[in-house]
Amino acid sequence: MPIATTPNQTEPALTDVRQSLITLIKQADRAGANELLDAWANRHGHEEVFKMLLEPALTAIGESITGEKHTLAQAYVASKVAEDMLTKAMNQPGGNAATEPTKGPVVLGNAESDFHALGRRMVATMLRSKGWVIHDLGNDVPASEFVDKALETGARIIGVSAMTMTTAQGIRDVRREIDARGLSGRIQLAVGGAVFLVMPGLLEEVGGDGTAANMFAAPSLFDRLWDQSIQAEATL
Amino acid sequence: MNSMQRFSNLLAGQPTDRRPFTLVLSLYGARLTGCPLDQHYSDPAAYTQGQAAVRETFLPDVLFAPVCTALIGAAFGAKLRFLTGNAPIIAAPAIESVQEWHRLHVPDPDRQPHLLYVREALRRLVAEHRGQVPVAALFLAPFDIPMMVMGMGPWMETVLFDRPTAERIARDLIPFFVKTANRLFEDGADYLLLPCAFASPGIMPREIVEQFSRPILAHALAQVRGPVALHHLDHPLLSYLDLLAGLPAVSAFSLAQADSLSRAREVIGPGPLLLSGPETQLLRKGATTEIEAICRAMLEDRRDDRRFILCNSGADVLFDTPPENIHAVRHAVESFGSSPA
Repeated sequence: MPIATTPNQTEPALTDVRQSLITLIKQADRAGANELLDAWANRHGHEEVFKMLLEPALTAIGESITGEKHTLAQAYVASKVAEDMLTKAMNQPGGNAATEPTKGPVVLGNAESDFHALGRRMVATMLRSKGWVIHDLGNDVPASEFVDKALETGARIIGVSAMTMTTAQGIRDVRREIDARGLSGRIQLAVGGAVFLVMPGLLEEVGGDGTAANMFAAPSLFDRLWDQSIQAEATL
Repeated sequence: MNSMQRFSNLLAGQPTDRRPFTLVLSLYGARLTGCPLDQHYSDPAAYTQGQAAVRETFLPDVLFAPVCTALIGAAFGAKLRFLTGNAPIIAAPAIESVQEWHRLHVPDPDRQPHLLYVREALRRLVAEHRGQVPVAALFLAPFDIPMMVMGMGPWMETVLFDRPTAERIARDLIPFFVKTANRLFEDGADYLLLPCAFASPGIMPREIVEQFSRPILAHALAQVRGPVALHHLDHPLLSYLDLLAGLPAVSAFSLAQADSLSRAREVIGPGPLLLSGPETQLLRKGATTEIEAICRAMLEDRRDDRRFILCNSGADVLFDTPPENIHAVRHAVESFGSSPA
């Protein structure tokens, strides 16, 4: 399946390579995807891999899996492939994981009493691949810790993940903590997790400023919330 | 006609006074009795009182032994955290990675306290409601148990990227699965409810279900001595029903509200029971009129399908669901009338 080339062979069309990458990821073929990306990186460098192949492929996958064909496994493979390439890029001489100008920082974590790390880690990988600097606080994070870390690092966004209806209620505490410290607007609250997909209205119920349908949509959400934070601060 | 007679008639092709219905009200029993949740999920007597209150309040046609998958992880050594308003969750897995699997001790359902709690609650339910209401018990498929032991991420990683190890672990768990499932039947369970995460269209690609999940499930279920209902979890199941139909012991499918029931019936054939109904989130937030209308529409859609049972889709009914919304499901069934022979 991977479109292998040698120096003597004609370069395959970029669209064909992208499509091969998409197919490999959807088939959960991490090794095949890495092989294809490594071959491209050898020719064009890691930065080009992100710009020309990985980011467009991830965007295309994100758009195609918003329907019924979405599987968690496919999203997971996509995040692992992105993580693999980030690691390789960082290990290059003078390497920098960020493929775009650095953004952030932002703070991520699971709501208090929530221990479902998978989604948070996948979102963190997607954000890092887009140049965001992440402070990941892990699972079971108290509301005050989120806000303390945001203040300490200058983060304009706190991203809180919750898997269940019960643990999502813990996000209300983060909202209250932000508001109580007079940081409303300045610090935006991004929320996510499976429960937000099946329960319309939960975003408003817990006081979130925005959510994303899947990890592929997270970078654009964070771009929007970052802008909202700057605008809110300008109006203060 | 009591619930047991209703089911007997339904399965025998005889008329019933009304359609059977049920809701998964395992957690909700604690709300009705006011029992602290740490006691509800550790004291069989307290749990049984909750199900008695469920029966008295809502008259469902099936009661449930404790629905709490975290207890299975805890039986392997995972650390539980008890919550307010929800079943306990796993706060720390028994192991952090698949490399540690070899140091685990597979629990014995005849000795392990969490499993004994479930079994004793089941036995008490059966004794208390014998001959009146069927009782269902929940367990996990061999390929889903590791998810509760090491967490979703490490197990997903293993299934996707180290298939031989995943197969070895899942197959090693089959004897535990079979023994526990058969103990639950010996304890009186009328049905085993089996959610299948790693055979779900929302989680696994079809190829992996064909190559990995289905063969393991087929091998395991061939040794189970009672009827099994496969559950959709939170995702529509229709697109994989062709893979799951015809598995040994499987005689019922619990589908999502979004699944097409007529198409599902075409796929599974006339024999298996088909369960579906309003999602738990709708039950929690919807208006009673909306819930009743949805239930009526589903019943009307299945008017000629004698083996359809109205049941909530999704997992356990949420703790803060208004009781009038649960009553709305029952009202829909009662007003719909009798079931054809």
